[in-house]
Amino acid sequence: MRRRQRKPLRSPAVYNLVADAIVVENLVKYYGDVRALDGITFRVRSGSIFGLLGRNGAGKTTTLECCIGLNQPTSGKVRIAGLDPANRRDLGTLRRLFGVQLQSTSLPEKATAGEVLRLYAAYYSIAPHPAEMAERVGLEGKLDRQIAQMSGGEQQRLALALALQHDPEIIFLDEPTAGMDAFGRRILWAEVEKLRDAGKTVVLTTHYIEEAQRLCDTICVVQRGKIVAEDTPANLIARFGGAARVSVRADGFTPDLELRSLGTWVEHSDEWQLVTGDEPGLALAAVVTKANQSGATITSLDMHRPDLEDAFVALTGERLGEGQ
Amino acid sequence: MNLFRMFVTQTRMNFTWYFLRDGEMMFWTLAMPVFFLVLFSFAFSSGPSTRTSTFLVPGIIGAQVLSSGFWGVGVMLATFREKHLLRRVHLTPVPSWVFFASLVAYRVTLLATQAVILIAVGAFVFHVRINGNPAEILFVLLLGTATFVSLGTIIGALARTTESANNIASILTVPLAFLSDAYIPIDRFPQPTPDLLRLLPSTQFIEIFRAVSTAGASLTEYSGWIIALIVWTIAGTLISARTFRWT
Repeated sequence: MRRRQRKPLRSPAVYNLVADAIVVENLVKYYGDVRALDGITFRVRSGSIFGLLGRNGAGKTTTLECCIGLNQPTSGKVRIAGLDPANRRDLGTLRRLFGVQLQSTSLPEKATAGEVLRLYAAYYSIAPHPAEMAERVGLEGKLDRQIAQMSGGEQQRLALALALQHDPEIIFLDEPTAGMDAFGRRILWAEVEKLRDAGKTVVLTTHYIEEAQRLCDTICVVQRGKIVAEDTPANLIARFGGAARVSVRADGFTPDLELRSLGTWVEHSDEWQLVTGDEPGLALAAVVTKANQSGATITSLDMHRPDLEDAFVALTGERLGEGQ
Repeated sequence: MNLFRMFVTQTRMNFTWYFLRDGEMMFWTLAMPVFFLVLFSFAFSSGPSTRTSTFLVPGIIGAQVLSSGFWGVGVMLATFREKHLLRRVHLTPVPSWVFFASLVAYRVTLLATQAVILIAVGAFVFHVRINGNPAEILFVLLLGTATFVSLGTIIGALARTTESANNIASILTVPLAFLSDAYIPIDRFPQPTPDLLRLLPSTQFIEIFRAVSTAGASLTEYSGWIIALIVWTIAGTLISARTFRWT
């Protein structure tokens, strides 16, 4: 094992002085001949919510596993709060600093939720508070229920409680809402927002656009082991989302000179489509006014503002697709 | 870090989850060995024979030590890994040796219970007498457990799936129980078979255990085999430690 010159950072108080909670540089991982990670580089500011967005198999989970010491990169550097998760001693310090919810956490079938929470409290040498944790993740009154009798979503929420129970500074969530119902998602999203308010650092992987857009301060779009873009959700949309569109279907409607000044019009069968760089709401209003003036009857009218999905498709040439 | 609390909590949970709440497991560990004792005591002689039972009580306890190491620890670890339970535990501050020690402590508790039941049934039903020094008996029992836990852990380390771990454990446990002087006296086999079988750690352990418990022999008479068992244990531990994977 390598000898370290400096002392590892031990207390969360010292950790707060590190501006970048996580530094990942040129991470490469081979599985046999397959290059799963092809030079991943990013930094996560302390106290921010960072999202790795990509399709299944893009390399999000492998990246996250390299951050928590479950996987060793073939080459490249990872630093969590200045410590190296590939180093055994550093990882020992880090394990108390971070909390993790894995994609698939299987717990002993015959264990009850309360017992697992108590056992993990012992692992972290903290006082158990299962009732409070159960309430936080919507498992009130279910502490005596055995894992085998819990739904997949309930098990995921228990896994979230296990990740948060010891009040970690850095939280890693791997596809945290996969398999959760709407109730579970609301709970998880609310918890992540509370973590943000408490100044914690969160790294999450997801293939849900809505989740990434709603929670993340910064999003890295990952494709085939590479980061294809990194920015705030708003900037990703502004940079890569493309133009807004207004589509109108109306008998006897043809865009006149004034409407043509708003952008580019294209006619698809009997539908007119406007691609505009301006505010699409105003263009929509203008279209309605003109159609009414010329006596045309509008049969359908649609406006599309660019969103994160558009940016993702533009960046990767692929759709994310919900419920993959 | 409160290692003692981790150890005690984990051991208690193991006992609750894998024994108290598992009816099948309770049956196999508590009823089956007694059933074997009663069945074989009658089958091997034309009626309940103290001589047969005196042979069987330490033999069955010894066979339980073997299966404890191979199934209770080896296969169990492979199952834990396959179910992704190990990697989750590995993300917490609990040291791997504490987690492992808790699994062993749980199995030792079961073994002690089994031994007490078998000795009691042997004494009350078949008049089997335990003549040895309790401290020496306990020492041999713990040494044997250490040997077969360390050898069993190799199964858990090398087997990639629960299924293959199960297969390896079956292939080893069943023949070993019959070839190691546990159920059948190996001296019934023609020479040199018994001498060859006495090279197995299972035979060595069971024969020392029988000698020390029912025959009332002294440990010093078996110092060679005790050293052999210690060597087996060290070898097993080294191989396990080098090959074991959490993920």
